[in-house]
Amino acid sequence: MSKHLIRMENEQAVIVQDGWAFIDDDEPLTGDRAVISLTRLLESKEDLAQFKGQLGLVLRAGTKQGEDIRDIQSKLDNLAIIMIEFPVYRNGRGFSSARILRDELGFKGEIRAIGDVLFDQLLFMKRCGINAYEVETSLTLEKFNKATSAFSDGYQPAADSLRGILWNRS
Amino acid sequence: MYRYDEFDHQMVQDRVEQFRDQVNRRISGEITEDAFKPLRLMNGVYLQLHAYMLRVAIPYGTLSGSQMRKLAHIAREYDRGYGHFTTRQNIQYNWPSLDRIPDLLNELAEVEMHAIQTSGNCIRNVTSDQYAGAIANEVEDPRIISEVIRQWSTFHPEFSFLPRKFKIAVTGHENDRAAIRFHDIGIVIKQNDQGEVGYEVHVGGGLGRTPFIAKKIGDFVPAEKLLAYLEAVMRVYNMLGRRDNSYKARIKILVHEIGEAEMRRLVEEEFTKIDARDVLSLPHAELNRIAAYFAPPAFEVLSAPFEIFEAAKASNSAFADWVENNVVEHRQEGYAIVNISLKPIGGIPGDATDVQMDALADMAANYSFDEIRVTHQQNLVLPHVRQEDLPALFVQLQETELATPNIGLISDQIACPGLDYCNLANARSIPIAQEISTRFEDLKQQSNIGDLSIKISGCINACGHHHIGNIGILGVDKKGTEFYQLSLGGSHDENAALGDITGPAFTSEQVVGAVENIVDSYLQLRTDDEPFIDTYRRVGMAPFKERLYANV
Repeated sequence: MSKHLIRMENEQAVIVQDGWAFIDDDEPLTGDRAVISLTRLLESKEDLAQFKGQLGLVLRAGTKQGEDIRDIQSKLDNLAIIMIEFPVYRNGRGFSSARILRDELGFKGEIRAIGDVLFDQLLFMKRCGINAYEVETSLTLEKFNKATSAFSDGYQPAADSLRGILWNRS
Repeated sequence: MYRYDEFDHQMVQDRVEQFRDQVNRRISGEITEDAFKPLRLMNGVYLQLHAYMLRVAIPYGTLSGSQMRKLAHIAREYDRGYGHFTTRQNIQYNWPSLDRIPDLLNELAEVEMHAIQTSGNCIRNVTSDQYAGAIANEVEDPRIISEVIRQWSTFHPEFSFLPRKFKIAVTGHENDRAAIRFHDIGIVIKQNDQGEVGYEVHVGGGLGRTPFIAKKIGDFVPAEKLLAYLEAVMRVYNMLGRRDNSYKARIKILVHEIGEAEMRRLVEEEFTKIDARDVLSLPHAELNRIAAYFAPPAFEVLSAPFEIFEAAKASNSAFADWVENNVVEHRQEGYAIVNISLKPIGGIPGDATDVQMDALADMAANYSFDEIRVTHQQNLVLPHVRQEDLPALFVQLQETELATPNIGLISDQIACPGLDYCNLANARSIPIAQEISTRFEDLKQQSNIGDLSIKISGCINACGHHHIGNIGILGVDKKGTEFYQLSLGGSHDENAALGDITGPAFTSEQVVGAVENIVDSYLQLRTDDEPFIDTYRRVGMAPFKERLYANV
């Protein structure tokens, strides 16, 4: 099934294309837009310091996904994008990773959901600070807008601009 | 009672339309049953053995008369004329058709009800003390903070796809009627020497195949910080909870594996970070706004003698028995808390018909400030009844077969739906409960036995809470035959304990006789009016076991 990329730009969802390449841990770091693993980023070897292109990070699904996310704080400025893999609908660990990146570490770059990114989770992802979504092409912009506007408000603050109903009343 | 404002109405209405769209996509074939499953589960729709089942939330077990009337209407129009009240203070309908569920939810929304987060791996309906606001010596009405938690946890964007389901219970009284130590998070409202109110937080309790009593990790969290604290617990769990094995995915396993001290440290570390952002500090004005909904109703000032009540007790022994067993002292002089048993002899624990629900709605309106509660023992409560109204109320309860005087007695059993309804069950539960209740039908005998809880689960998932029954019964499957394992000494209250297994399991023909054998042993072993649980704690398993397996 083919996929396309939807990104929020100035509060508008748009379909975009970009050329990020995933670089395996044992592959040489080349190209101008390279996405590497958390392990490789934290190891921070020589080739990383010498890399001249734009750098991205991918948090792959796994039992430890995102567990040491806070260790990347000092390297955040070097990252243009962080991709979070959602391997299957019921694995919601990525929602917490996204919020830690936005709320606590103050990451301002793109956070992209990849993997099993489903219609009915888009609004939650958006509220957690994810602003780009790799989805199946059958999930059109129109459907995306419908999914992310299913609720006009939220009870609690998250990583978006809503204060939360409990806070808005007073 | 809490009433929705425009924000609450809008959220529930948005949800109905969202779910209607999901159902339409399923019916049109746009999504498969596999893809639909997590969506319906977020909204309390299960696929059972024979049909879809819908679980409707009754937040912290509090209902108004008009809400009960709507539940009766739904039982009549969408089901087969009855509903089933559950151990989580909810109601389940066993026979709604999928295409009509959106309309059903729309009707619920009219009376400020919903089925949001009554299933799925999210924060479930918050449960609490059924006597909230009616019992004396409460630190604070637990429904206030329960409502705050209900709102905060509703459609929480970060915590809707947790490793496993997540249950929170709150009590504001030293006598724990909400079994808070067997929840993922249990909260006890406390008051310190300065008269300030704070929240004691217990984490990692639960039943199921590996039961644990929760560990206290938060000693005295102030009200305005509680949501930040809860969010810290949830985030630690969402990041570290196991996702590789669904049997090991509950927070109790995480707490068990990393230990209580490490859990406390992680939560405090996370709390400090969340609290620093300050966006979750609850405004006092909002707390006060919600608290105002739970202010005591306009009680009349009444004083003894209550002649109508006393005369009825003296002249009508059935009424006197019912008062003795089902009526509890109220905080306000001249009022009473009335328990309504949904455990008629030989009946199905927790079931109520549409006619009974309509009648209860009327009784609530006429006698109890329009309030009804659901208990985790699958009974109902009218919380604020004038003592002088009790005789008239009793007559109406008798007319609708709701006057069974057995609260807390051996026939007041908890049972899961079991193999009659559930596709997880190994054995039937309801017929065992019915047989036990029939065997101990005689009220004199039940009163002589006294406080004794029997809890029955049809499988290891423990929906019938067998671990915490004074006598627990667990259905197991042995080569296609139903067997029942017994345990003794479980208790759900502030002296929480898990039951001990007696020994080899019994067949469905033997199990009721085995329960009788245990009760007979107790009657011989007890001193004076010592309750079953105290006798068991005093003498231990050995004398029970000896008699139980004497002829095996």
